[in-house]
Amino acid sequence: MGEHEQYVIEREKIDYFIDRGYKINGVLENLEGAFIEFKMNTDEKEEESIETLHIKTANGRKYFSALLLKQIQSVS
Amino acid sequence: MADLRTNLAGITSPNPFWLASAPPTNSGYQVQRAFEAGWGGAVWKTLGDPILNVSSRYAAVNFNGQRVAGFNNIELITDRPLEVNLKEIYETKKRFPGHAVIASLMVEPKQEAWHEIVKKAEAAGVDGLELNFGCPHGMAERGMGSASGQVPELVEKQTTWAKEAAETPVIVKLTPNITDITATAEAAVRGGADAVSMINTINSLAGVDIDSWLPIPNVSGKGAHGGYCGPAVKPIALNMVSECARNSRINVPISGMGGVSNWQNAVEFMLMGASNVQICTAAMHHGFRIVDDLIEGLSNYLDERGILSIQDIIGKSVPTYSDWGNLDLNYNVVARINNDVCINCNKCHIACEDTSHQCIDMLNDGNGNPILRVREEDCVGCNLCSIVCPVDGAIDMIEVPQELPSMTWNERQSLLGSLKDCKITK
Repeated sequence: MGEHEQYVIEREKIDYFIDRGYKINGVLENLEGAFIEFKMNTDEKEEESIETLHIKTANGRKYFSALLLKQIQSVS
Repeated sequence: MADLRTNLAGITSPNPFWLASAPPTNSGYQVQRAFEAGWGGAVWKTLGDPILNVSSRYAAVNFNGQRVAGFNNIELITDRPLEVNLKEIYETKKRFPGHAVIASLMVEPKQEAWHEIVKKAEAAGVDGLELNFGCPHGMAERGMGSASGQVPELVEKQTTWAKEAAETPVIVKLTPNITDITATAEAAVRGGADAVSMINTINSLAGVDIDSWLPIPNVSGKGAHGGYCGPAVKPIALNMVSECARNSRINVPISGMGGVSNWQNAVEFMLMGASNVQICTAAMHHGFRIVDDLIEGLSNYLDERGILSIQDIIGKSVPTYSDWGNLDLNYNVVARINNDVCINCNKCHIACEDTSHQCIDMLNDGNGNPILRVREEDCVGCNLCSIVCPVDGAIDMIEVPQELPSMTWNERQSLLGSLKDCKITK
């Protein structure tokens, strides 16, 4: 699979969580790439929903960074 | 015609082209001949205790048919008595009062030695002094030249000593044989330098003769490292000038040199902050008359843009030079191949396939003719294909619309740092 195709798949996975109301809650970057922790905004009674995505492509890391910027700007 | 007069820390000259301290400025005969040809200034070959030279002294690096792409020398400073040089400086200045005559100086790192030579040089009527903290060979083994220039404390201290005695502007010439030239440039400023100049030559061995197995050049079967200059070092010099120009603590004018071979190179150095340029190798390769082309080319360049004075371009590109961390990660260019110009040599395909990102496909058009096409989604815009392409206009690098907002590495890391749970492991 080409780098671009891999990126498109990663982007779709990221969008999947964002579209369902998840927020980027944490990022771990290491030798294997980036691990994004998504957290669903739930009301206090519901169980917290946390998902993790492993992003391997450079464009994928740029993409979630742009989404994080948007997320932070929307809060402030 | 645009005004080409320059002023470096109070040293004026009719144009920005100075001969650097080197073999072309060894004597009054040569410097006067250069001024007659049109050079604006000359930095006299370094004065100090007369040395002994060896034979041979120079070597050139030729590359793919270009002679003197790089130039290496193991010649030292002047081998003539100080009195002889000073007499010729006096005569030269008397004959060419409007031209800049600078004395390059190198003595042991002792206060009294600097005081003595500064006073003697100024008594001969020089317009300024250039402290040679750059020569990498021979003199460095004796604690002078780059041996001094690699230690910021020695640069600062010796600059201070020279300034204590000097009445004319003091330029400190820096060695590139150091990781960060701004460290020594800052030291020169702390010592009171009125200007800095860069770069001196780079440690080098020009080559090894694969038949005799001897270094090039060799002296009776032995070689030693020399100083490298010429067109090959220009990018290194230009970066060092630029780094100093954008450093707010180096708030003195810069005289730029290192591979300046034509008027275009001079424009580049001046746009990146040099107040003038010094030239050696190009003059050694082609003679003093190259200054005609330098002046004419620079003058036309300014006139075509309606720029009245050379002063108006100095430093204009400095704000565009930054750290890598301040570059936009989301800006994209891609390669586009113009198949009506392309000669199908396939060099771009091979370069991309073997050494870059495998995004140039070899295809056939509707008529079965071979064509090359870039898969733009996989192209990272590295430029390699356009660099190796032998045909002008066959490959264009095209800016593509930005899908993501501008974001630099520094901004990204700051953003990630703002997350409560962010870890970047190393």
